[in-house]
Amino acid sequence: MSVQAAANTNARNESAKRKRKIMAGIQWALAIIVLIIIVFPIYWMLVSSVKSQEEILLAIPTLWPKEFHFENYINVLNRGNFAKYYWNTSVMTAGILIAQVVTGIFAGYGFSKGKFKGQGLCFIIVLGALMIPLQVTFIPIYIMMANWGMSDTFLGLILPEAVSPYYIFMLRQTFMSIDDSYIEAARMDGLGRVGIITRILAPMCKSTLFTVTLVTFTNGWNAYFWPKIIAKGESRRVLTVGLAYLKNTFAGGESMNNHEIMAGAVLAVVPVIILFFIFQKYMLTGYSKAAMK
Amino acid sequence: MKEKRINPRKLSAVKDFSCVLPVLIFLAVFTYYPIVELLRISFTDWNLLNDTWQYVGLKNWTWLFAGSGTKYLWNSLKVTVLYSIGELSITLIGGMIFALIFNRMTNSFAAMRAIIFMPKYVAMSSAAVVFLWILNTDSGIFNYLLSLVGIKAVDWLGDRNMALISVLMLTGWRCIGYGMMVYLSAMMGIATDYYEAAALDGANAVQRFFKITLPMLSPTTLFLFVTTFLSSMKVFQSVDILTQGGPYRSTEVFVYNIYRYAMVDFRMDRASTVGIFFFILLLIVTVATMKISNGNVTYDS
Repeated sequence: MSVQAAANTNARNESAKRKRKIMAGIQWALAIIVLIIIVFPIYWMLVSSVKSQEEILLAIPTLWPKEFHFENYINVLNRGNFAKYYWNTSVMTAGILIAQVVTGIFAGYGFSKGKFKGQGLCFIIVLGALMIPLQVTFIPIYIMMANWGMSDTFLGLILPEAVSPYYIFMLRQTFMSIDDSYIEAARMDGLGRVGIITRILAPMCKSTLFTVTLVTFTNGWNAYFWPKIIAKGESRRVLTVGLAYLKNTFAGGESMNNHEIMAGAVLAVVPVIILFFIFQKYMLTGYSKAAMK
Repeated sequence: MKEKRINPRKLSAVKDFSCVLPVLIFLAVFTYYPIVELLRISFTDWNLLNDTWQYVGLKNWTWLFAGSGTKYLWNSLKVTVLYSIGELSITLIGGMIFALIFNRMTNSFAAMRAIIFMPKYVAMSSAAVVFLWILNTDSGIFNYLLSLVGIKAVDWLGDRNMALISVLMLTGWRCIGYGMMVYLSAMMGIATDYYEAAALDGANAVQRFFKITLPMLSPTTLFLFVTTFLSSMKVFQSVDILTQGGPYRSTEVFVYNIYRYAMVDFRMDRASTVGIFFFILLLIVTVATMKISNGNVTYDS
């Protein structure tokens, strides 16, 4: 009797194991299919960027290039003026980054560890700004900047993005989690506000600081709406906008030059994708961290 | 002598305040003043092509609600709502399905998850030109693949019934991994006791999903819903690169509508009027979603 029961459970375990194996197989199969679909556009961008013009216009597309034409990249950098766009994007991103980090850290300190009358009201002013996006206010800002002679300048690109309420909010939340006793101790040792921020708070909140700064960097690098409005001319055009104009830059129909447009697309994403793979741990949480608090 | 001494506590408060002062000044100039200015412009007849302007009262507002602007206003409202529904479904439902597929804690699945999430970091303009190329009517690979299974070439971006779907394909590609990541990190937070108890009660996998996973994830769903909804209302870049609002305004979302009045027609008065209306709409949606989030959510207690 007991032998039979044992055999029964054994059989049940066997079938459960088999079932689990089948489930895992299905999961793997689905995962691979999904992966192929998601990766395909990136693969197609890379492959198309090294094809020749004839190959790109073939009626039956080739999945792997017959010959590699890396000169597409040189063409885009020179004829398409991408070298200049690269410079413009870099300067703009650096400017936005520095401005947001500096204003964000100080304001984050003021709203978390500072004490002054009207602190709550001031913080509501900052939070309220989250509800007024640039997509609403861009007209008066554009007029204002144009009147100040800032269209087609770096200052014009950077200034409206110099303060990020989101960044301030994040830093305030993180700084609040640091115990006041650290700050008291630092004050006893004679550290001023700048010292407390740079030597105590910033190092203690390194990982959050780094994560939100990465988000700021990618947002700056990938910015499109405002740069398109304020820098209409060639001189301060950024990569994202330049890429969108690329199809008009080369002579001929737009489908004629897709190999070079793809090369431009690759050039525009390379820095951020490299960062993504290096700092995966931070980047994966970057977007979700904000709202979980 | 006494008046000259400054109260140290007061001095400290002044220093603390000066930490936030630059930000407040900035927001006053670049966020709050422009909203007031926008409202003011909406009562003028300011056209950038003319040298002068004057106040015209409610003329722009009647134009918007009972004039030639009305039908475009409703059109962009309709397109924006359709787009939002699309992006929400992809992020919430698609993200949930992806989360279930990739919910396996091995290194190979972690690597795959990272790759699925990557499109979020591909600049929208790069992604958009890639999709322009893939969806190209004559030599795009998508139509070629469809032709292999006998489907005739589709004019993805030039057909008014297809254009919005094409824009949503691009959006979905970039957003679905984000939905997945948010759901997965929340799923990991659900205590395994619940599942063990349910398994003892004889609940199968489907029942466990609907009775435990889904309710436990409702705060996450709500968070995703609110943030995605608000950001989807502000969509611009994908539309600008893929379709420029066309064909026949079938993809002209709100921001694109405002952009067109301001930067193409140079009608600052009309653009500002629509802008104010859009702002009020955003406020209503924000307040409404906040109201909802204070009710109907299951929390783990």
